Amino acid sequence: MLSTEAQVHTLANGLTVVLAPDTLTPVVAVNLWYGVGSRNERPGRTGFAHLFEHMMFQGSAHVPKNRHFEVVEQAGGSLNASTWFDRTNYFETLPSHHLELALWLESDRMGWLPEAMDEEKLENQRGVVLNERMQRYENQPYGDWDERIQRLVFPPDHPYHHTVIGSVEDISSASLADVEDFFRTYYVPGNAVLTLVGDLDPGRALEAVERWFGGIPGGDAPPAIPGHPDPGPHIGGTQRDRVEADVPLPRIYLGARIPPFSHEDFYAADVATSVLADGRASRLYQRLVREEGVAKDVGAFAFPLLHGRSFLLAWVTGYPGADPAVLEEGLVREMESMADVSADEVARAVALEETRLIRQVEQLASRADLLSMHQLYFGDALRLNGEVDRLRSVTPEAVRRFAAADLGPQNRAIVTYVPREEL
Amino acid sequence: MPRSSPALDRSRPPEPGEIRPFHLPAVGEDRLPQGLELRVLREARVPLVSGCLVLDAGEASLDGDRAGLAVITGDALQGGTEVRSGAELALALEQLGTSLNISTGWDATTLSFTCTAERLEPTLALLAEVVRRPSFPSDEVDRVRRQRLAAIRQRLMDPGSLADDEADRVLFPLDHPYHRPLAGTETTIRRVTPDHAREWVEARYRPGRGGLVLVGDLDIVEADRLVRRQFGDWEGTPEPRGELPAVVPPRPRPVVVVHRPGAVQTELRLVYPGPGRKHPDRLSLQVANAILGGAFTSRLNLNLRERHGFTYGVRSNFTHRRRGGLFLLSTAVETRVTAAALRETMGELDRFVAEGPDDAEVARARDYLAGVFPLRMETTGQLAARIAELLIHDLPMDEYHLYRDRIREVTREGALQAFRAHVDPASIPIVLCGDAEALTGELEALDLGPVEVRLPTELQDAEEA
Repeated sequence: MLSTEAQVHTLANGLTVVLAPDTLTPVVAVNLWYGVGSRNERPGRTGFAHLFEHMMFQGSAHVPKNRHFEVVEQAGGSLNASTWFDRTNYFETLPSHHLELALWLESDRMGWLPEAMDEEKLENQRGVVLNERMQRYENQPYGDWDERIQRLVFPPDHPYHHTVIGSVEDISSASLADVEDFFRTYYVPGNAVLTLVGDLDPGRALEAVERWFGGIPGGDAPPAIPGHPDPGPHIGGTQRDRVEADVPLPRIYLGARIPPFSHEDFYAADVATSVLADGRASRLYQRLVREEGVAKDVGAFAFPLLHGRSFLLAWVTGYPGADPAVLEEGLVREMESMADVSADEVARAVALEETRLIRQVEQLASRADLLSMHQLYFGDALRLNGEVDRLRSVTPEAVRRFAAADLGPQNRAIVTYVPREEL
Repeated sequence: MPRSSPALDRSRPPEPGEIRPFHLPAVGEDRLPQGLELRVLREARVPLVSGCLVLDAGEASLDGDRAGLAVITGDALQGGTEVRSGAELALALEQLGTSLNISTGWDATTLSFTCTAERLEPTLALLAEVVRRPSFPSDEVDRVRRQRLAAIRQRLMDPGSLADDEADRVLFPLDHPYHRPLAGTETTIRRVTPDHAREWVEARYRPGRGGLVLVGDLDIVEADRLVRRQFGDWEGTPEPRGELPAVVPPRPRPVVVVHRPGAVQTELRLVYPGPGRKHPDRLSLQVANAILGGAFTSRLNLNLRERHGFTYGVRSNFTHRRRGGLFLLSTAVETRVTAAALRETMGELDRFVAEGPDDAEVARARDYLAGVFPLRMETTGQLAARIAELLIHDLPMDEYHLYRDRIREVTREGALQAFRAHVDPASIPIVLCGDAEALTGELEALDLGPVEVRLPTELQDAEEA
């Protein structure tokens, strides 16, 4: 089903380059993944990987502040970046005749960032990030769900114990020295994958990449991830956190440790979440929303994380006045009964995931993102082409085995939100 | 310090390569005998087909006391058909690896899907079954109603939604549909019955003034054959829509604070009536807006975010509906800098209207809009949705083919005059959702207009009164 073609090259300084021509439209997607995320943050500096991502847009030695966005927008391109647990990505999509513009900008900040940093820029972006945190977390009903669930699913010394956004105190205390140190440690060519997808000639594109990035020195391999990556397979009981807050409706979040993204059993967990909550014929929707009418909405997601264990999240929102115990009972019952999932249910879930995957590959920017991910995480960009087969090879037996092993009370974190007062 | 090769000049952007042509394939057009417009665009990058069925069944066609009926009907449409229960229908679609997304707006109800090409025929059959033979079981309608009522409660505790909804209420007069929330109010939602939904479908889910868009690896001949099989004998045309009342911004300029005690941030909105989708000023306004607040490097974002660090971001845009629309400027700022951020915002608006943009800004905005245009027309799903938009607004199919040339014709003077004609900063209503106790003193000191504080619960009560 998937037949993306791509070449992979490595420059002398260690930068991995993935080139995937697709000349249907005169557009090119430039996508750069760095192997650094919130997992690499040391105690007292949570949120720093993300704050650093913001600093990457504050100019570099040859690019003044605001120039980066200006030139890409003027070229008719779109751009952004994001920080996650295991990586940080930067991306531009632009008319293909402007390819070198993106290479100029990305290489300049990979090679020459610290020269352009100053206290004023850091102060400015601390303010922006603190406002981002307020907008998405503090001023948002249920905004702290991930802080609460991660705390319960992973022990304090695990890299996924804290959130990507980090704490206000840590964000506020980040210094310019931290910026430079982080840059020298993690923003080295050997810790990055550059993927170009779209209207390009691979030979000429590689030449251009060599021209812009070749002069950046390799640097050392990044240090080990802080803390202890393997927390063991299970949480070891049912951990609870009950929150009375300014939320409109009662809601249950359930977390469980699952095999990491690199393990073949991850796909069974992933298919299990689709059986549970993807579409109207999913178990949680069919039972809790439609038949019993106790839930307003439901959801489930398997996080594709790398270190030791990943985690699965499921949630159920109740109607006003609903008893959270009833919501929890329904959610837990459906998850445990996954131990007898049928072949039809698995086939439905796989069919939906297949369509979604093909739709992601259809878009140049998300195809580039997937190629970067498979290259950075697994050293093989074209592993992407095996994703449909990996999904299809998940048997009902594998989902049953996964559910029996990992979805029981020995491996459960439950965060219960209860409205503080009736409206 | 790392070195780059001597020939490389890093101090300025590299010269672009040779520009490559962008050709959007022509849209195949046909009309079925009963009036259903068929539009087909051939796109063969991946083996997918996306479809959009648009129906002249939007919320703006409803009187205020029936608000929410179009939305509830759309929500309940997948509750079952004459031959299948809701659960059986969901399974039939999802076993095909697809699902039906039904969205109801002011102007239309749109049913969209993406499936693999080999599964198009059975998917179209299910689409036709859902639209032409829905059964509206009472427990399904009841559930959809309860979900929408709970969603109202969610909006009442979400600061961004509170600010958006209040902005509509402040701007549009009581007898105007855009005054109310799209999905209706608690009172009107409670009134909807399965019979109302059936009557709505009978009256407005009709091929006349409706259309079906298909994008994927198929041609008009093949599409025509497949579509006629499912919709060939579908008949009827909905009643035309009437005129909407005129919108005059209230005077004196209202400054309304929706009180959220202890809020760490303020959601800020400035809102003004705007022109409909067919208005000739649309592209001039797009260029003006890109400079003011429609891009990352817009004046507002560079000021509020990149200079002052007041916010994660600020955006403005014009929303065009079939009849009328609005200009909306939105941001969220830390509580203690709210007045300062509002002063900067008003300063940027005043300066923009007084002096206008400079030529370089206009050139950059034109290039930006022309350049990003194809990036948003990439997937079969995006293309189908964009073509559906043309059908909803009764626009010619070459609109997108001409867009990039037309946007490049916008002049500095044209952009400025259009913006001046449509937005008056001296009277633009201001809505804030935040901690009124912390805000009112400073807002009064800004002297922008009488400051009024409202409670979120009052908003709902006002609707019920």
